[in-house]
Amino acid sequence: MKDVSERPPVDDPPGGRAAGGRWPWPAPGLAGAGAAGVRHAGLVAALLLLVLVGVITKPDNFATTGNLVSILALAATIGVITVGMTFVIIGGGIDLSVGAIMALASVWATTVATQSYGPVVMALCAILVGAGAGLVNGLLISYGRMVPFIATLAMLVAARGLAQRMSDRRTQLVRPENDAIMALSTTKVLGLPLLVYIFAAVVAAGWVLLNRTTFGRRTFAVGGNPEAARLAGIDVRRHTLLLYTLSGLCCGIAAIIIMARTTTGSSTHGDLYELDAIAAVIIGGTLLTGGRGTIIGSILGLLIFTVITNLFILNGLDTSDQLIAKGVIIVIAVLLQRRGLRTPT
Amino acid sequence: MADKATPVLQLTGVNKSFGAVKVLHDVDFAVYPGQVTALVGDNGAGKSTLIKCIAGIHPVDSGQFFFEGRPVAIGGPREAAALGIEVVYQDLALADNLDIVQNMFLGRERTRGVVLDEASMEESARQTLSRLSVRTVKSVRQMVASLSGGQRQTVAIAKAVLWESKVVILDEPTAALGVAQTRQVLDLVRRLADTGHAVVLISHNMNDVFQVADRITALYLGRVAAHVERAAVTSTQVVELITAGRSGDLGLAPTTAENTL
Repeated sequence: MKDVSERPPVDDPPGGRAAGGRWPWPAPGLAGAGAAGVRHAGLVAALLLLVLVGVITKPDNFATTGNLVSILALAATIGVITVGMTFVIIGGGIDLSVGAIMALASVWATTVATQSYGPVVMALCAILVGAGAGLVNGLLISYGRMVPFIATLAMLVAARGLAQRMSDRRTQLVRPENDAIMALSTTKVLGLPLLVYIFAAVVAAGWVLLNRTTFGRRTFAVGGNPEAARLAGIDVRRHTLLLYTLSGLCCGIAAIIIMARTTTGSSTHGDLYELDAIAAVIIGGTLLTGGRGTIIGSILGLLIFTVITNLFILNGLDTSDQLIAKGVIIVIAVLLQRRGLRTPT
Repeated sequence: MADKATPVLQLTGVNKSFGAVKVLHDVDFAVYPGQVTALVGDNGAGKSTLIKCIAGIHPVDSGQFFFEGRPVAIGGPREAAALGIEVVYQDLALADNLDIVQNMFLGRERTRGVVLDEASMEESARQTLSRLSVRTVKSVRQMVASLSGGQRQTVAIAKAVLWESKVVILDEPTAALGVAQTRQVLDLVRRLADTGHAVVLISHNMNDVFQVADRITALYLGRVAAHVERAAVTSTQVVELITAGRSGDLGLAPTTAENTL
């Protein structure tokens, strides 16, 4: 983050830097909301297309309640992480450590010591470990002035190492007396497991936080123009710290979901989740440089990814091809967005 | 100089160094309600540093600040804003990815409970723009990225006025603008003063200064060369004050001017 106040005390040349100079004439009106709406419509269309492919190729298997529930349950884990990631990226950062933090939280929550306190403490432990690791990321980046990529890369490696050490590289089972955790996956309300509702609640809370609160508004400002945000009296460092803590918190919630789904805590959980989460956010139309993005877009991006995975599995295709398809989709999404970007400015 | 009013903001004996470089030497500066005070000086004369000290961005090494006659200490941008001092920076400090309302309320958003009160903010933004007789902006929900240079300047000024501000400091508001847009912004600057604000206008452009300023303070190498009434000087004299620190009887004593070089 550049800090203009530290510049040597030399006046700027007249007219040299004034930002207004780039737009000598009023550009044709663009509405931010409208542009996002168009992007979302495109994502929904892509999603429907994939569903259509599913219905045609596997008519008996795809459009079943069981399959749709498993798609949502699969999406829930990375989905919660994606919400936090959306905030971090809109705020101008990146968090590579999400998968590792989730693994660490799942391991910490399933140690013999934690499990002896019961399921509520396990859940709290996962959330606290996640938020704590996120806080460390935030401190390194905002007050330690480290580049987000480096700081969270270090956390990725370190958190996974710590998870391995704590679990002795063994998969830790959630003990039967703590089966309330598993109930999140097995108890169904209106045909959907509870963890899908947790996912929905996190998405809703994230949407409100981003679009209807001061915190969300300032996240856009910090990502779009940190210097303007600072001059407007926003504590940019503190805000950055909170963004990474929020991301860590989401990883903690994701850890609860993965414990419920797999009945285990393991240092191998969430491997490469960071890439899926970042890809979902990018496909959803959030600028990697910050300042623009939506929660809805990220979730649509994630659902597209999850449905693709599901289609490949149902059709018995190679997972390698699945990776290739995902890569191609990321490239197409970014190319389409760049075209969309050029028209307004 | 016969002053009818007490200054809203007065600085006396302000010194500021950045490391070994002394940027401001015993600067005295005063701004009056309803008047436009032009702050002029060459590049490096200390204009930007002076306003950043006023805005609370740079702490001063020594010197006193009086706001409406009371001694005050300005410890940060928020404290300056709380007093009623608003600065419109040269690079405008607007976030391109936000709309006009969002920019005007950035950092001081209105909320109802925990959620943003968009309706009330939009209404106030619209009222402020119309109070300043701004008619060039189509919608207050336009993204700032889509605005022209003059419109951006207008939004930045309106943002400063929104807060019941008493002192509005404008850093080179016309530097990047064309003739028509410069005209609009200067009209706006005049209206600001006419609505009772104390306005500080930093400019390199003598035309602008002579069109709207009531008083002129010239800085020369970190010292105040002169405080003058606009009506009492010519453009040539002001240019001499800027470039040489003195003009005839006005300005720094020759020895002082020499020493600072």
